[in-house]
Amino acid sequence: MNSLEADVLVIGGGSTGAGVARDAALRGFSTVLVERRDLGDGTTGRFHGLLHSGGRYAVKDPSAARECISENRILRRIASDCVEDTGGMFVSTPWDDPDYGDLFLKGCQDTGVPAEEIPVGEAIRREPRLNPDIRRAFVVPDAAVDPWKVVWACARSAEEHGARILPYHRVLDLELDGERVVGARVRDEHSGEELRVRARVVVNAAGAWAGQIAELAHCTVNVRAGMGLMIAMNHRFVNMCINRCKRPADGDILMPIRTVCVIGTTDLFVPDPDVTEIRQADVDLLLDEGEKLVPGFREARALHAWVGVRPLFEETAKVADTRDVTRSHALLDHDSRDGVAGFLTITGGKATTFRLMAEVTVDAVCQHLGEQRPCTTADESLPGSERHVMYRLDARLAAREPVPQAEEIVCECELITRSALEAAIDRRGTTNLDDIRRLLRLAMGPCQGGFCIYRAAGILHHGGRVDVSVANRALLDFLEERWKGVHPILHGDQLRQSRLDDWIFQGILDVEHLPA
Amino acid sequence: MTTQSVVIGAGLAGLTAALRLTEHGHRVVIVARGAGATHLAPATVDVLGYVGGERVDSPVASFDQFFARSPDHPYRRVALAQVEAALTWFSARLAGLGYTGGLAENLLLSTAIGVARPSALVPRTMIGGDLRAGGRFVFVGFRGFKDFHPSLIADNLTRAQVPAPLTARAVELALPRDRLGDLGGRRLAERFDSRQYRDWLVESLRDKLEPDERVGLPAVLGLRRAEETWQELENRLERHVFEVPTLPPSIPGLRLFDALTARLRAAGVRVVFGVTAVGASAHDGRIEAVAVANASGTVSYPAHSVVLASGGFASGGLALDSRGVTRETVFDLPVAGAPAAGSVRFAPRYFDDQPLAGSGVPVDDQLRPVDADGKPVFGNLHAAGAILAGAVPWKEKSGTGISLATGYAAADAIRGAPVTSMAEPVR
Amino acid sequence: MNDLIRSSLDHCVKCTICESFCPVSQATPLFPGPKYIGPQAERYRGVGPSPDASVDYCSGCGICTQVCPQDVKIAEINSRARAKLWEGRRIPLRNQLIARPSVIGRLGTPVAPLANWALHNRAIRALVQRVVGIHRDAPMPSFTGRTFQSRSRAHRNGATPADAPTVVYFHGCGTNYYEPRVGEMVVAVLEHNGFRVIVPAQDCCGLPLQSNGNFPAARKYVQRLVANLAPHARSGVPIVSNSTSCGLMLKREAREILGVEDEDTEVVSRSTFDLCEFLLSVHQRGELRTDFRSLPITVPYHAPCQQRGHGIGKPALDLLALVPDLHMIELDVDCCGIAGTYGIKKEKYDIAMAVGRRLFSDIAATGADIAACDSETCRWQIAHGAGVSAVHPIELLYRAYGLGAADAPGAHRDLPLAAVGDRSTTAGNGAQR
Repeated sequence: MNSLEADVLVIGGGSTGAGVARDAALRGFSTVLVERRDLGDGTTGRFHGLLHSGGRYAVKDPSAARECISENRILRRIASDCVEDTGGMFVSTPWDDPDYGDLFLKGCQDTGVPAEEIPVGEAIRREPRLNPDIRRAFVVPDAAVDPWKVVWACARSAEEHGARILPYHRVLDLELDGERVVGARVRDEHSGEELRVRARVVVNAAGAWAGQIAELAHCTVNVRAGMGLMIAMNHRFVNMCINRCKRPADGDILMPIRTVCVIGTTDLFVPDPDVTEIRQADVDLLLDEGEKLVPGFREARALHAWVGVRPLFEETAKVADTRDVTRSHALLDHDSRDGVAGFLTITGGKATTFRLMAEVTVDAVCQHLGEQRPCTTADESLPGSERHVMYRLDARLAAREPVPQAEEIVCECELITRSALEAAIDRRGTTNLDDIRRLLRLAMGPCQGGFCIYRAAGILHHGGRVDVSVANRALLDFLEERWKGVHPILHGDQLRQSRLDDWIFQGILDVEHLPA
Repeated sequence: MTTQSVVIGAGLAGLTAALRLTEHGHRVVIVARGAGATHLAPATVDVLGYVGGERVDSPVASFDQFFARSPDHPYRRVALAQVEAALTWFSARLAGLGYTGGLAENLLLSTAIGVARPSALVPRTMIGGDLRAGGRFVFVGFRGFKDFHPSLIADNLTRAQVPAPLTARAVELALPRDRLGDLGGRRLAERFDSRQYRDWLVESLRDKLEPDERVGLPAVLGLRRAEETWQELENRLERHVFEVPTLPPSIPGLRLFDALTARLRAAGVRVVFGVTAVGASAHDGRIEAVAVANASGTVSYPAHSVVLASGGFASGGLALDSRGVTRETVFDLPVAGAPAAGSVRFAPRYFDDQPLAGSGVPVDDQLRPVDADGKPVFGNLHAAGAILAGAVPWKEKSGTGISLATGYAAADAIRGAPVTSMAEPVR
Repeated sequence: MNDLIRSSLDHCVKCTICESFCPVSQATPLFPGPKYIGPQAERYRGVGPSPDASVDYCSGCGICTQVCPQDVKIAEINSRARAKLWEGRRIPLRNQLIARPSVIGRLGTPVAPLANWALHNRAIRALVQRVVGIHRDAPMPSFTGRTFQSRSRAHRNGATPADAPTVVYFHGCGTNYYEPRVGEMVVAVLEHNGFRVIVPAQDCCGLPLQSNGNFPAARKYVQRLVANLAPHARSGVPIVSNSTSCGLMLKREAREILGVEDEDTEVVSRSTFDLCEFLLSVHQRGELRTDFRSLPITVPYHAPCQQRGHGIGKPALDLLALVPDLHMIELDVDCCGIAGTYGIKKEKYDIAMAVGRRLFSDIAATGADIAACDSETCRWQIAHGAGVSAVHPIELLYRAYGLGAADAPGAHRDLPLAAVGDRSTTAGNGAQR
């Protein structure tokens, strides 16, 4: 069996894990990160992309609010390429108690979250699609963050400082030497080969799956999985993050993120984070809540639905509504907690505070290793964000001027060129088009791959890059995976699209009869 | 006494019904939201390609078995003789496109991903690609034309289920220098109308081909001069040359549209695009006029008969709302085969049979939409094409066959109908 | 309405039908096509100034919206995007100038002979191309010495009884400053059919301002025009227009593109008819005089893009079918290329000529000496590119009715045509001038 050695082994390739790997690598620790699937395929890649100002927590969870506003400012600077400066609004609809607005303002004041009430007319002027009957509106510095960009930028940064980042490597077991975790046995999911990683400290950043990883070291960590549904709508109805001004509840966020807007979310405890489903009742709920914010939402074109699982850590784990669990993070030192040395778990928290979570974790790593090294992640920019230029929605459109079709555009909805696609395929060494989708947003536009997936399969196969059976498999797997997120919201315009896509894949190409 | 028929929809079904109606002496107006769907389809006439999971070699021999599984299929509303007549008629009216084939035996053509797909009637530019006799094939693609991947086709075709052995390989050419790196099918097809492009293709391929090899190219061989282009290439390359249809825009579909609309124009049919049929005024169970919304209001087209060829869900002839209610969008006709609101509409796996498939407007043997009791909703309203209930065309490979056969049959049913004095002639 | 146009992008299923019909994207690599510029790029817009200058290559012909089977308001989205593009930039002098035909008309009419000489002088045109950016070869009409408005004020019609049905004539800038003869024929035909024709004070509809992306100015113009026409519309008097593009502006573009949605505009929109549409409806009521003489000529007919945008079919052809021995050929080409002011711009002239090439050769192939077309700018382009005279369909009806003293069947070849001012036409390949 192959083996690797490192100072730090990070388990989990979401924003937390990638953040820890980066922080550790920047501090000069040799680092290995393993993730059982693709980076950002867990919670990080499935949330709505809201870079919190903290307003959402200002009333109920002040410590979380403070963390959010602080990290919001930092990420705008160091991860500018991943963040769109949309701004945010909290609005009181006719269904909300207008007095909550005063609580909201007070909470923001107390926690240092900049919030300002604006006249309703001004709110409608800025966001003409909003329900004209809203009663109050407050602006806050929410922003939209692209989680995959963040995760991959962290991974790249870590690699630049010597780390090994290993997606599609599943932890089979933790290795213990007496009462000390010394490493892990890991399987490469592509080759099937096993790998042993030895490390001085093992960090469990497995998010909703942290409990499962902790079990491998005979530690009990109660992470409750709160499943939440999101729906992406075909185009941006709003360009600011819109929140309902009320106690946090289902369907109270409408986010512009890249070319779509996302409504979310719901909350349902699930015993197993890998067993999730999209329920019709939840779809209806989100569409109805969306209708309260944007008239016409219910019948508007919904593009894709998906569920994410948020990790909620509670020491006693006896809370009825997972939403009442604090959203602040928890760092568990298993040495003091469980008598198992060399093992840390970082859990809870939210994407907005990933950098802070990583910082406290690597501070603990330093303690463990007896080497105090300062954290620089609050100051050092992520790769791609060095010039502190924030992401703009029209970036891809601008990049195509003045002769938009000077290059082959493979995914026209999301303006992805052939050269970008080939570079991504080669860089990742992947044949999974879903991996490419996370990197580039392939097939995430209105046609949901109707036109681009055939082209991508052809490019994948081109020049003998992969065998035809692999290319066929990539296409068929993609169609099956995509269908999961499409059929729960298929009506109206998206059904028309889906029928055209059926016509293309089954009628014209007849992929159903590809050789086995 | 002249009569005016109104055809709603400019897809193959609507255009077919309109042309056939002029042959019965009707004046015809086509009102359509847009330019139909012929640009999306390969322009072959696919009558019946699959029954259950089995590929069909002979449509005529498979109908019985097919109807046992799909008793409410639109083909059951037309006589077999009518389907045959429609194919013959189609080939004759579009003689310039050289359609060949029939109901006796399907041709087998490669799709743009290398699957062998059955087809009943095929334009001359594609006949050379018939796989049934096997042989040697080379597929030629162009760098910069993203909708055709010859090595994917060749590799898959080599593994395909075909009646006789075949070999397939791929060649990729770089197109002549162009400011555009992404030409698209339409622009490429227009370039092939020019001598310069054909010369370039012949020169580039001449010493790359092996004897007895049939040459498969993407279906972009010319737009207005397609027949001449294809013929020239065959002559100069001294081999069978054939087009392989690919993603929209379908250039053969464009040619079909142009040919059909030219015939319609010559027959005096008025085609109005960019308008929406929104209803009708009726009297005594017959439609008197079709209401059409245009730039500034609604106008009324008096009608002796009406053909609804507005398409299925793909074109908005049928619509499903977020609560699961299905409706027919022009006349609010009864819809069959749609799951009830609130019940499951889609199966969890993509290739499974889908509950919503097959929904549409049920019709009688005159192709008239019927109510729950089987009575025609209007005595002079007929329906044709993808709006009809009972078919899953992309699985059966029957879309253009249904459009052609039912468009033709609807026109014939109208011809049989008495001319009443209800509808005033326009002149 | 703003929202309805933008939201219509949700209907787009990327089918490429619009691209297949777009004449401009076939003719130049600088325009990626209506699907790209419209519903696709629109998902990237909305925050800040638009980066995509390629929008400006859209000619605004509107064919995309007409052929879209999903009801996406593509051309309207493109127009809005163009206006947004220009919002952030200084509109060049040229675009300001050519977007105001009534201003140019008022300046040029009093000095018509001089202005016409200048406009058709090669050296001056070369200079104009360099300085202003109007292509030296772009077709230019000729100023008339006396506007149609002025002529109509002098017009006396004793034959029509006081209680005759009335009709309001919206003549547009083209008729007023360049083709007053066409206006006279329109009035003559209407009066021949028993209508009393009112020619109210009126100015430009604002369409060229709209198509050059200056929405605020366009709105002012159209609202002024509507104010002049609304009182008649409210009294139930139909408004007829012989310019299919200007008529479309009133019918729907003011509402759909400019977002002008007040009651006056609504009632004017509902009351506006294309001239041939109106006459055909008169005929359908059995009230059109059909005392036509034989007109034994062959005339190819081109329906302008914006005529097809009315969604009324081709009433010109239906009317002309009533004229004995007149053989109309329905051409099937979509666009002549001029697209209003688009094709006269120096950087777009070649594109416009490429777009119109097939139309020109199809006309030449008929062997006819004249062609018919409802839009004045299209007529000038056809005359320029195909080298034939181009007339409004009303002229054929006028001649078939035998109106006008000097007219006789077949005499059209010798008479200076009303098509391009009062001078004879020029051939695009420089044959005559």
